[in-house]
Amino acid sequence: MQPLNQVLLHKDCRVGPDLTAWRSTIGGKALKIALDDPSSLIPLIKDAGLRGLGGSGFPTYKKWEFLAAKKMAMEKYLICNGNEDEPGTFKDRVLLEETPFQVIEGATICALATNINHIIFYINPDQTASLASMRAAVELWEASDLYTEVKKKTPRLKYRVHASSGHYIGGEETAAIESIEGKFPFPRGKPPFPADFGVFGHPTLVNNIETLSNVSHIVRNGAEWYRDLGLGDAAGTKIYSLSGDVLEPGFYELPMGTPLSDLINIYGKGMLLDKKLKAVFTGGPSNTILTPKDIDVPLDFDSVLKRRSHLGTGAMIVVSEGTSIVKRVAEYVSFFAASSCGQCPPCKTGTYYVAQLLNNIDTGQGSQADLDSLINLCKILPGSGRCHLVDGAVNVLDSSLYHFMDEYRHAIKAT
Amino acid sequence: MSKNNQGIAYDKALKKYSARKEVPAAEETLAPETLLKQFHPDYFPDSIINLKVGANKGEACHHQLAAMLQSDARIDESDLAGAPIIETDILVIGGGGAGCAAALMAAEAGARVTLATKLRLGDSNTVMAEGGIQASIEQGDTPQMHFEDTIKAGHHFSDKELVAEMVMDAPEVIRWLIQQGMQFDLDKYGDLLTRRAGGTSAARVVYYRDYTGLEMMRVLREAVLNSNIEILDYSPAVELLANESGHCAGAVLSSLKDCSYNLVRAKSVIVATGGIGRMHINQFPTSNHFGATADGLVLAYRLGAKLRDLDSFQYHPSGLSHPQHMAGHLITEGVRSAGAYMLNAHGERFVGELKTRDHVSSAILRECVEGRGITTPDGAIGVWLDTPGLELREPGMLAQRFPKLIELGKKSGINPLKVPPLIYPTLHYQNGGVVIDPNGLSSVKGLYCVGEVSGGIHGKNRIMGNALLEIISFGRRSGEHAAANCHGVKHKKISIEHLSDLRRELTQANMPMDLQGPLLFPECAKFENDSDYDGLHKNR
Repeated sequence: MQPLNQVLLHKDCRVGPDLTAWRSTIGGKALKIALDDPSSLIPLIKDAGLRGLGGSGFPTYKKWEFLAAKKMAMEKYLICNGNEDEPGTFKDRVLLEETPFQVIEGATICALATNINHIIFYINPDQTASLASMRAAVELWEASDLYTEVKKKTPRLKYRVHASSGHYIGGEETAAIESIEGKFPFPRGKPPFPADFGVFGHPTLVNNIETLSNVSHIVRNGAEWYRDLGLGDAAGTKIYSLSGDVLEPGFYELPMGTPLSDLINIYGKGMLLDKKLKAVFTGGPSNTILTPKDIDVPLDFDSVLKRRSHLGTGAMIVVSEGTSIVKRVAEYVSFFAASSCGQCPPCKTGTYYVAQLLNNIDTGQGSQADLDSLINLCKILPGSGRCHLVDGAVNVLDSSLYHFMDEYRHAIKAT
Repeated sequence: MSKNNQGIAYDKALKKYSARKEVPAAEETLAPETLLKQFHPDYFPDSIINLKVGANKGEACHHQLAAMLQSDARIDESDLAGAPIIETDILVIGGGGAGCAAALMAAEAGARVTLATKLRLGDSNTVMAEGGIQASIEQGDTPQMHFEDTIKAGHHFSDKELVAEMVMDAPEVIRWLIQQGMQFDLDKYGDLLTRRAGGTSAARVVYYRDYTGLEMMRVLREAVLNSNIEILDYSPAVELLANESGHCAGAVLSSLKDCSYNLVRAKSVIVATGGIGRMHINQFPTSNHFGATADGLVLAYRLGAKLRDLDSFQYHPSGLSHPQHMAGHLITEGVRSAGAYMLNAHGERFVGELKTRDHVSSAILRECVEGRGITTPDGAIGVWLDTPGLELREPGMLAQRFPKLIELGKKSGINPLKVPPLIYPTLHYQNGGVVIDPNGLSSVKGLYCVGEVSGGIHGKNRIMGNALLEIISFGRRSGEHAAANCHGVKHKKISIEHLSDLRRELTQANMPMDLQGPLLFPECAKFENDSDYDGLHKNR
């Protein structure tokens, strides 16, 4: 079988908001199985080894179990998180636009497994096509006999498409809850966790769009099938967002654990203008850097972690020789500084100060003291905010200092 | 170029020539379309090819311009390491009339404005404009007539909405220019004098002597210098910057003074870089300024802006052909409008002198090809512009109204009152350009293009006086619109990542990548390769 686009991005799934086309192949089959025996769903997901594909890699069944355990709760919420705003990540928008029913079916099965009665599709308003596609699809779904069937089981199940505020920080799970409550997406302190106290105080589950998209396939084909999709110890597939200095950037659904070299050289058709690979920023900038010696790394959560990096959202920003790492990192940290919601002073001032120091060093006005400050800030800042924004900024800085200290030193020496 | 040296030699033709009060009008037998198809340079065989990459992929384009549009970029990521970032609200690229008008309106509306210019403020084709500026202000003239003249002269290729907006703006444009301090020629009652442009139905060109554009630039330059607009001179833009969504978010400037790159982060960018003359399309001489090298077209195209009419250029009929060192210099259409004839080597008129420019130029080329031109010893060819005849009919008028022509005579050692200048079409104007809306906004968000770099207003042929009108009309519009819409714009990231897309497309289309664009300076002036030019090299 071709390794490329075999599950989520298979042509049978990519029908857009066309319910008839979707049902003519695989659509609705998983839902029927799920309706027959909802109690078997969580063990099945556990057995399949589905993990959070929005970047955390957290086992999905655990989140579901927390929600399913809240048996007394009258109202429970599922937020399908499609806020996607990290530079270099562009997978959820494709799933939402081209495979809306795959997302809806996955979310509905999840609701059946956990007794959730509110499903909210939380979508970045900048992705107008995704938003329009989902709105059309939900309308069709609610008019279909599938929805009637589901209502026999859970009569109070409702769907809603919610345009987020478009802020980067709005993708954080507690910020998404605030946004759905109609407020500015300020992340909340944890605990309490969303499973205990989410939307309007009700138990809430937040899952990424790609994670939910996998659900119907697992239900239909079984856990073993899903595990076998991955290479090595990894399970399933992953949509990698490949960008930067490669000949053919784009989104590629490949077996989880596909080596980085295959992604760049086979699917990306190699480096642009045959330049030399210098670094890969993984998972979007909130994660870390891989260097050419890591070219063989299998792209799954655990293998990447062993190389001091994170798989994150599966975004791979490829950077060639000639690119200034200091400048790139300065750009990324500036992005974080601009995206900080401003609640937590260490994050608000810290990210801004780091960006300023990096810009100074990059433009040849930095000193050894500036570099020392950066190294110091890497130790002080992590964990000082309610959410992980400041940690993300520090991660990328710390990783660049680890791999490219020479470049920083050189930038200072030049003055 | 199909120059034919079978014409009559200069000395012999000059002996045969005599200034006459009346010469019978030409009898034109050839249909205008046939004349254009046979002789206009836009129809030269093999000069038009199809573009292979970009927003206009598959569309027709002149091969010289196509090579530049599909060239590799001058810079790479590595060039930007250590480049300082200048922050502003609105970046105006180009220090000619359109750029200054845009910058002034934006600054007046309260925006922070930075104006970058390749050389000095006012180094532009605006100062080259001689004839005047069109505005339907005379009794019996209307914007509707102005509209129809423009559309007709452009062979119905113009964007009607843009033309309508422009002709309605025209009277207000004149009023604004007068408020800025610009002078116009007046009659004894103080009313604006007008003259008629070729191919128009009424006298509606207002003017100042035969250096209207220079006078215009004088006041605009003063106004900009006396405002709080930040000026970055000797700073050609080598690339535009894009934000994370592909919107225009600034530019990379190459500072010629210290050989470094500066990044300007702006909420929106107004490109007013002018035309293309110094690319010498079809190897024609040009009337254009040193800096007219199609920079804006190349930069906008790379960012994804749609262009139009890339196969259509204007050749002004009366470019000086002799002496050689003055070749291409312009003699205003105003001279013909005032009544001067054009004569071939046999002393005959061969075309209606006030037909549209493309028509008149084609007729001159026909005379030269068919052996009725006048050839000089250094290989130039042309026809007479009968200024001595005009002097006979209207004594003193040339000296009073056309001081620049008299000055040109002194420079070339030919007194136009006694000896007719030899003229030949000169590459004058780029009819097409970036597709814009009535606010000057291109198809790329945040990117405005105004002046000659924009397209659509003049169709496939421009009439005299509409260029000066266009630059002020759309310059002002873009400045106002950009200032009103820059609030709340925040670019998270600025980068030249769109260049990777360009290189990708070029690689996949198997295009050569040896040429780098934009050109910045004419081929004859490649400073980068001139080791003697220390001023530009001291930091390298």
